[in-house]
Amino acid sequence: MTIASIKGIVKRYKDQIALDYVDLDIHEGEILGLLGPNGAGKTTLIQCLMGIIPFDKGVIQLFGEEGAVFHHENKKKMGLVTQEITVFEELTAKENLEFFAGVYGLKGEEKKQRVKEALEFVGLSSKAKQSPNKFSGGMKRRLNIACALTHRPKLLIMDEPTVGIDPQSRNHILDAVRKLKEQGTTILYTTHYMEEVQSIATRVVIVDQGQVISEGTVDELIKNIQHEEKIFIDVNDVSTIPIERLRGLEGVKQVQVSGSVVQIISNAGAGNLDRALSIVKETSGVVGIQAEKPNLEDVFLTLTGKQLRDGEDDPS
Amino acid sequence: MTIFIFALKRILRDKTNVLFLTLFPIAAIFLPLAQEGWPLLPLGYQYFGVLLLFVSIRLTGIMIEDRQKGVVKRLAAAPISHFNYLWQNLLAFSVIMVIQTVIVIIGGHVYGHELYGPWNLAILYIVFTFTSISISLAWNSLYRSKESSFLIFMAVIVLMALLGGILFPMEMMPEAFQRIAVIFPTYWLSEGIEWIVLGEDRGDFLFINGVLLLYALFFLIIGSIRRIS
Repeated sequence: MTIASIKGIVKRYKDQIALDYVDLDIHEGEILGLLGPNGAGKTTLIQCLMGIIPFDKGVIQLFGEEGAVFHHENKKKMGLVTQEITVFEELTAKENLEFFAGVYGLKGEEKKQRVKEALEFVGLSSKAKQSPNKFSGGMKRRLNIACALTHRPKLLIMDEPTVGIDPQSRNHILDAVRKLKEQGTTILYTTHYMEEVQSIATRVVIVDQGQVISEGTVDELIKNIQHEEKIFIDVNDVSTIPIERLRGLEGVKQVQVSGSVVQIISNAGAGNLDRALSIVKETSGVVGIQAEKPNLEDVFLTLTGKQLRDGEDDPS
Repeated sequence: MTIFIFALKRILRDKTNVLFLTLFPIAAIFLPLAQEGWPLLPLGYQYFGVLLLFVSIRLTGIMIEDRQKGVVKRLAAAPISHFNYLWQNLLAFSVIMVIQTVIVIIGGHVYGHELYGPWNLAILYIVFTFTSISISLAWNSLYRSKESSFLIFMAVIVLMALLGGILFPMEMMPEAFQRIAVIFPTYWLSEGIEWIVLGEDRGDFLFINGVLLLYALFFLIIGSIRRIS
């Protein structure tokens, strides 16, 4: 089921076009990774979807309702984790959650319970009465996430939620995102960190210059740009390797020997790793194997011609 | 009323705020009487308007902070209107400043100051509270940083107090300055103080408060235009 459907969205800032007829569907229960270089239009897209800014053209359908981004009832079903840490330093962690829970209309015992659950969820129960100004960067980020969870949103939008934190906190946050998905929350996740998307996203959308340039699962995206596979087999005795048999395998384009390493280049999707390995093992011991496969970083580079992590500070 | 309650909490958690909010009114009560017939009220009561402007820029600063930190953007994604956010914050600032005014009036009365019409003085200060909160709101909307807004507004307060006849009698000013003084809300505050001591026609007092409320409305509109960025 489609939870949010964006059709032909156009957003201009004076002469500059930020979103150029963007189409995007978010399906219930998925983690959709939104990738794009700085200035690609990710944040603008999120702001349009959340009803924070108006757009010039197009339609956004939320929870099956058209033109509903500014309806308070729909906003109650959505949560936003901002790129900035938007918590109050004067209040305690618990009070911060109580504030956002109150803004989303929770009251009394229900509010108390949800605040407790959210603190537990992000592992800050023991710090409930402390002010965030005593927190590490990672703890602040976790509190920032918890602020978007008290009202149990159906659709959670996370805008670069792990910027500038230590690996331990990042892992904690990624685990939390996976747990949220298991609980049935749909998540739109933007980040500069390719490995995060690769590890948590069920589907990826790449945007550049205000347009969606590619979408699919990580494997699909890789497949689209992958033209060949490379296998490197480090062997004990290279002189005994039956090179011609390897060359005869289906899809193999080239076999080279360099030092003690046999390099096999095949067509994409040929799946020659097992076959090549058994041939090599017949005549020699194997010291090591490496299969070179493009990753999401390569996909991104191929499609946009840009490195994703250039100028991380730019919020757009 | 979540925003209202938490605005009060945030203001009162700040130790500097608490210091300003308690020490200044106490100081105003205990400042000595005026010499040689001017000002007409005890010094603390003549200068209380300056204190109100000062406190209001300090309190409204939390709204710049909200904008700076992205809280306003986050709230724009929540089921609450910007109008709701605005009026609940303004209500919190007003409640604090009205309490401060009441303390100063009751304190002065108990201390034995001659306040002429304490009720009228309370009304004038409360109306000026709304004006100063609106001016601060509009002023803050021009700035991205709380610190620069606060520092420059300090100079503006002194200028408004000088030209509006709060710090010196209007008669000591050059004629041209006296003519332009009417554009400053502080002029109407000092006119109000003069009416409380010397005035007779109730209509004049209503007119003075009406002008101050118009200023409040004008600056409120200006101040509410800027939202997220």
